[in-house]
Amino acid sequence: MDIILEGKKLNKSFKTGEKKTQVLCDVDFFLKEGEVLGIVGESGSGKSTLLRVASGLEKPDSGELLYKGRDYTGSSPRQTGEFLQILFQDAESSFDPRMTMERSIMEAGRGKKDKEELLKLVKMAGLDEELLKRKPGKLSGGQCQRMAIVRAFYSGAEILLCDEMTSALDVSTQAQVMQIMQRLKKEGKLSAVFVSHDIALVSEICDRIMVMKDGRCVEEGETPEVIGSPKDDHTKELIESARKQSIG
Amino acid sequence: MKKKKLKAKIIILSVLALLLLLMTCFAGLVAKNDPNATSAAAIRTAPCADYPFGTDNLGRCVFSRVLYGGRTTITATFFLVAVSFAAGTLIGMICGYHGGIIDGILMRIADIMLAFPQMVVAIAVAGILGGGMKGAMIALGITMWVSFARLARSHTFSLKKEAFIKAALIAGKGDIYIIIVHILPNLLAPVLTNALTQIGTTMIGLSGLSFLGLGVVPPTAEWGSMISEGRAYIQIAPWAVLYPALATLITIIIFNCLGDAVMDYREA
Amino acid sequence: MVADKEKILKISGLSAAYEDANVINSVSLDVYKGEVLCIVGESGSGKSTLIKAICADNSVSVEEGSITYKDKVVTDLKAREVQKLLGCEIGLIQQNPWGAFNPIRRIDVQFKETFRSHGKFFHAERIKEIFEVLGLKDPDKILKMRPYELSGGMSQRIAIAAAFVLNPKLLLCDEITSALDVTIAMQVMQQLMELKKQQETTIIMVTHNLGLAKCIADRIAIMYEGKIVECAEASDILKDPQDEYTKRLISDVPRLRAI
Repeated sequence: MDIILEGKKLNKSFKTGEKKTQVLCDVDFFLKEGEVLGIVGESGSGKSTLLRVASGLEKPDSGELLYKGRDYTGSSPRQTGEFLQILFQDAESSFDPRMTMERSIMEAGRGKKDKEELLKLVKMAGLDEELLKRKPGKLSGGQCQRMAIVRAFYSGAEILLCDEMTSALDVSTQAQVMQIMQRLKKEGKLSAVFVSHDIALVSEICDRIMVMKDGRCVEEGETPEVIGSPKDDHTKELIESARKQSIG
Repeated sequence: MKKKKLKAKIIILSVLALLLLLMTCFAGLVAKNDPNATSAAAIRTAPCADYPFGTDNLGRCVFSRVLYGGRTTITATFFLVAVSFAAGTLIGMICGYHGGIIDGILMRIADIMLAFPQMVVAIAVAGILGGGMKGAMIALGITMWVSFARLARSHTFSLKKEAFIKAALIAGKGDIYIIIVHILPNLLAPVLTNALTQIGTTMIGLSGLSFLGLGVVPPTAEWGSMISEGRAYIQIAPWAVLYPALATLITIIIFNCLGDAVMDYREA
Repeated sequence: MVADKEKILKISGLSAAYEDANVINSVSLDVYKGEVLCIVGESGSGKSTLIKAICADNSVSVEEGSITYKDKVVTDLKAREVQKLLGCEIGLIQQNPWGAFNPIRRIDVQFKETFRSHGKFFHAERIKEIFEVLGLKDPDKILKMRPYELSGGMSQRIAIAAAFVLNPKLLLCDEITSALDVTIAMQVMQQLMELKKQQETTIIMVTHNLGLAKCIADRIAIMYEGKIVECAEASDILKDPQDEYTKRLISDVPRLRAI
């Protein structure tokens, strides 16, 4: 499989007044075509920042970003949007509250107006067509997130960047959304970076896992490897906590 | 429950406001007398059948003048609020969206405008421009856009951080598209509410300038100038002051209450 | 074995509502002395409302049924009597770790206030003991800090300490770890259980996290659409769920897997 997205030696810091915080510290990552990469970490580990940097929403202080070997460091989201889409934690707020779902999704199509494809995707996401006429406030959180998936695929983007996409959802709604993601993955349509604090959830869908702590990548490897025989202490701690809470 | 009550309140106040506007718009149908026709025979007549609000020092019908004066005041107010609203919102959105130097410069200008009390600036500017309604409107407008700009700016600022704006960016939309299609409709409601609450203040401002002789040029009827003229003989013909004053009071109360009710409704 | 234990709280046929919507529908639940009862449910299931109803929170109105704490019928008490009961006998810890404190006042000042308002003397040693169990090192330094300077985990520990200094018999916890990281949450839970053991407190814990409930609960009650659909010993409910909803809930929890 070819590497579709890659980041090399990424650094990012934020300044708040006098204090400078290093949020990303020489982070490397890569994503192969048709693969789901999980990024796990606790709050403040820099996992969401990494995603924002990769998407072009934030510019890295230094380092390189590559899409299919082509350098896109410093590109604006307008340019990166041609090959990637983001799924936000709060899906509802990722739709204009005054627009119908249909209009919002069409907007992401970059001029494409293919109602047939849209309806197909909506069906694939297990949603009712009628919901397209509604505004985001009239949809549940799970429905909004599924609409966001529809939008991402309608846009034709090759890469999905998922930022805690199910953290705001209930367990059963999360399961519904993950089911769709699993199906897309099985069909080989999914190349995604999946950021989450929940290592159990990540272990269910990701081929590879990257564990982050304090702006650094502390461990990276194939899922069975990382879960089965973690090397880093922080990874062990995360897995231990997850194991204690695991059911059955 | 609370929302329902507020809705009823808004409807009642809107009907009253509309009634007021209709009365002044169709002043010619309601008032039989020419507002500027003087009559030596009927100087300072007390309210009677011919002159429901009496007459003034020159024998002009106060009722007609209040209605026609309302037309002057209300048209000028609406025009002024609309222009300030449009200009302020546009400036605010640009500042909030772009930030940086443009924002810095425009907001410092706004700060300078706010450094003096609004009326003081208005009197100074109206004085320099000389009398006339146009001068008075410019004098008030020069500070009025600021409140709209600030409000629009702060809303744009927070809207800009919303995920749907990022989604629009990723969809490859341009800045102008994002401002017009995504930002403007989402901040219209709060800014329009502000416009509604500004109507009362603007009316006081315009009437105040006219009262000081910096507004409308006689003999055009205007509430502020009517009060000012009638003041000289208030003990002989109190009605010449009373009715325009009452008209001002009622109009301002209606529009202020309407503005507040809409604001409460939006927050409830 | 549960049957012969002493009941500390009895909820019978409780229906409660917010201003317009009915949220809890004829819920009956017994809480036994010394146990940890977890109420698990999704958002909108009415689990937090149930906690509010027990505290006689005035945003919730009880339509039907009653809540009895020991021999007092809470639902019949006057506001002042309920207030007296809260804090001294019944403690409450909420989700937002910073919510319980004034962010800009020193912690020791706020602790003193807590003691005073419940008619007890400020007992520095007692606070330090509790702090130690909660893993809060250097209590003197922490007591001189202000809540806004603390991390979420620290604040939540201090909120737990504040609830425990008054030595409540029954402690109500509303999603107390959902704002915290997993590893921190596990620590906080373990420390809470340690304190519970020392003081023999009864705990009702509301959470959406079934895994967390599994770690600490003696019994688990599953709530769905304002009703308790199932209530049993923790191990029983997880191994052999009876209700359809419970089954679905258990199967929907992500499992740690090495695909």
